[in-house]
Amino acid sequence: MTATTPSATAHNSAHKLFSLGRVSAIAGNTLRDLVRQKVFYFMLVFALVLIGTSLAMAVLSFQGQLQTVMDVSLGAMSVFTMLLAVLSTAMVLPKDIEDRTLYTILAKPVARFEYLLGKLSGVVLMLLIATLLMTVFFCVVLWFWQGREIANISTFAQPHLVDAEVAKVKAGTFTGTLFGGIGVIFLRAVVCSALTLMVSTFATSWLFTVIVALMMILIGHLVPIARSVWMDPMQAGVDMPWHLSLFLRVITVFFPDMQLFNIVDDIAVGTHVAAGIFGQVAALGGGYVAIYVLVAYLFFAWREL
Amino acid sequence: MSTPAISIQNLTKEFTPPSVLKRGAITAVRNLSLNVEAGHVYGLLGPNGSGKSTTMKVVLGLVTPTAGKTFIFGKDSRDVESREAVGFLPENPYFYKFLTGEETVHFYGKLCGIRGKMLNDRTRELLALVGLEDAAHRRVGGYSKGMLQRIGLAQALVQDPRLLVLDEPTAGVDPAGSREICDLILKFKARGLTVLLCSHLLSQVQEICDRIGIMHRGELVREGPLDQLIAIENQTELVLENASPELLKELRAKIASSGARVVGEGRPQQNLERYFLEVTSDAKKSNQ
Repeated sequence: MTATTPSATAHNSAHKLFSLGRVSAIAGNTLRDLVRQKVFYFMLVFALVLIGTSLAMAVLSFQGQLQTVMDVSLGAMSVFTMLLAVLSTAMVLPKDIEDRTLYTILAKPVARFEYLLGKLSGVVLMLLIATLLMTVFFCVVLWFWQGREIANISTFAQPHLVDAEVAKVKAGTFTGTLFGGIGVIFLRAVVCSALTLMVSTFATSWLFTVIVALMMILIGHLVPIARSVWMDPMQAGVDMPWHLSLFLRVITVFFPDMQLFNIVDDIAVGTHVAAGIFGQVAALGGGYVAIYVLVAYLFFAWREL
Repeated sequence: MSTPAISIQNLTKEFTPPSVLKRGAITAVRNLSLNVEAGHVYGLLGPNGSGKSTTMKVVLGLVTPTAGKTFIFGKDSRDVESREAVGFLPENPYFYKFLTGEETVHFYGKLCGIRGKMLNDRTRELLALVGLEDAAHRRVGGYSKGMLQRIGLAQALVQDPRLLVLDEPTAGVDPAGSREICDLILKFKARGLTVLLCSHLLSQVQEICDRIGIMHRGELVREGPLDQLIAIENQTELVLENASPELLKELRAKIASSGARVVGEGRPQQNLERYFLEVTSDAKKSNQ
C-alpha cells in the first residue's frame, strides 16, 4: 500500500504498447473459463463417441473400411471443432460485458487489441486441447483397426502376400497427409473462431453472434461458386446485372472461402495431398485470421462500453 | 501548482440510440469541466441518469467523449498508459466466479505487469488490508456482496495506483460492511491517495469527501469544498462539554444582549450508523 512496499514501483515502469504477459494472463483465464463449461465436455464426448463408432461403422459398411473410419472420424472432428469454436468464442466477449468484468480489465493498462488477442488465444488453446484429445482417440481407433486388419491378412491372405499386404496397411494408416488434414481441421476451427470474435464485437447478444457467424460460415462454402460467376460470368452462362455482380463481389470479399479447407474430404478418401497445398491452406487460413482480428479490433476500438 | 489527478475539460458526451427510429442523440454529459487535486477525496453526486457514471467511464477511457478532453495526472485518458495510475471499482462488480480471491488479485496484478514474488507479496498484503485473508482460497462465486466489494477494492489497488475511482462502493452492502469500506477509504485518504467517489449515500460522502460536485441532467450544478458548500453562513455552532447551568444561563444572557439569537439548543446526537455498529458488536461479544 505505502510507497515503501516493493510493489509500489509497479506503475513507475515504462508502459509497453504490447505485452505478451498481459495477453497470456487473459488467454490463461479464458482457457480456464472455457474448460469449465459443460458444453465443452458434452461436445468432446459426442465427438469421441462418434469417432469410436466409426470402427463399428467400418465393419458394417460396404466401402473400403479405412475410408469409413477416416470419413466418420475426420467428419466428426471437423463438425465438433467448428461448433466448439463458434459457440465458445461467441460467449467470451458478451459474458465479460454482461458481468462487467470487462470494465475492470480495461480500466487496467490493457489495450483493447491485447484483450481481444488474449480472448482469441484462450479459445485457440481450448481448440488445440480438444483437437489433440480427439486426435489421440482417433489414433487409438486407427491402431485398433490396423491391428484387426493385420490379423485378418495373416489369417486369410496367401502366405507369400502377407508381408506386402501388412506393409500396405501400415503405410496407408498413419500418414503425414492424415495429420496434415487434422492440422487443416484445427486451422478451420481457428478461422471460425476469429470470424465469430469479429461478429461478437458488433453484435448485441450471444445468440445473434452464433447465428450470424454460422450463416457466414455457411455462405463461405458458396464463395468459390460466387467467385467463378463474378470473375467469368460469360463462362458460367449468366448475363449478370450490376446488383448481382455487386452481391457476388461482397460475398467473395467479405466471406471466408470455406471450400479451401475441404481438402480434408479428399484426405478421408485416401487422396495424397502435397505439402505445398497444406502450405497454401495454412497461409490463406492465417490471412483470414489476421484480417478478422484486425476488423474485430477496429469495431471494438470504437465500441462504447 | 501540481498536476491535478483528474482534469476534465469541457466534456460533452452524446449517445446515439441504436434503434432504427433514431430520434436524435441523448446528451449524457454537457460541457463539464472540473479538476480533482492530488490527495483529495472528491464526491461526484447526482440522481440516477445525471451523467456521473458516464463521466467516470470517459475518465477511464471506456467511453469516447463527443467533445472535450479528460486527463489523469496530465496524461490523456484515452491513452492506455494513463491507466497505470488508476484503480477502478465498478458498481456491483462481478469477477470470474471460478477464481479464488487470491487468484483474482493475481490475475489483475498480471494485467498490470506484476509477477513472481512481488505479486505474491502484494496479493497477501492487499487481502490482509481488505480483511479477506481467511477467504483467500475460496471461490469468488461464493462471496457475499460485501466481500465482492472488498475483493474489488483489492484488485483496484493491486498496481499501487495514485488514483482510485469508486462507483457506489457501498451499494447493497450491510451497515457493518459499508462502515468497513468507508474506513478503508479514510485509510487511503490518510495515505495520500486521490479518490473519485460516486455514491448515493450522502452521509458517507459527507464524512469522507473533501470536495464535491453535484450533477443534474448532465451538467455540473454545484462544485466546491464540502464544508463551504453546506455551511450556513450566518450561523455558528458551539459544542460544550461539562457546561454548568449557570454558565449556560450567563451565555444566553450575553447572546441576547449582543443582538444575536439562539436558533437551537440541545444535546448533540451520535450518528445512527455508529450506534447500530456499537449495539451489534456488543451483542456479538456477549454471544461469544
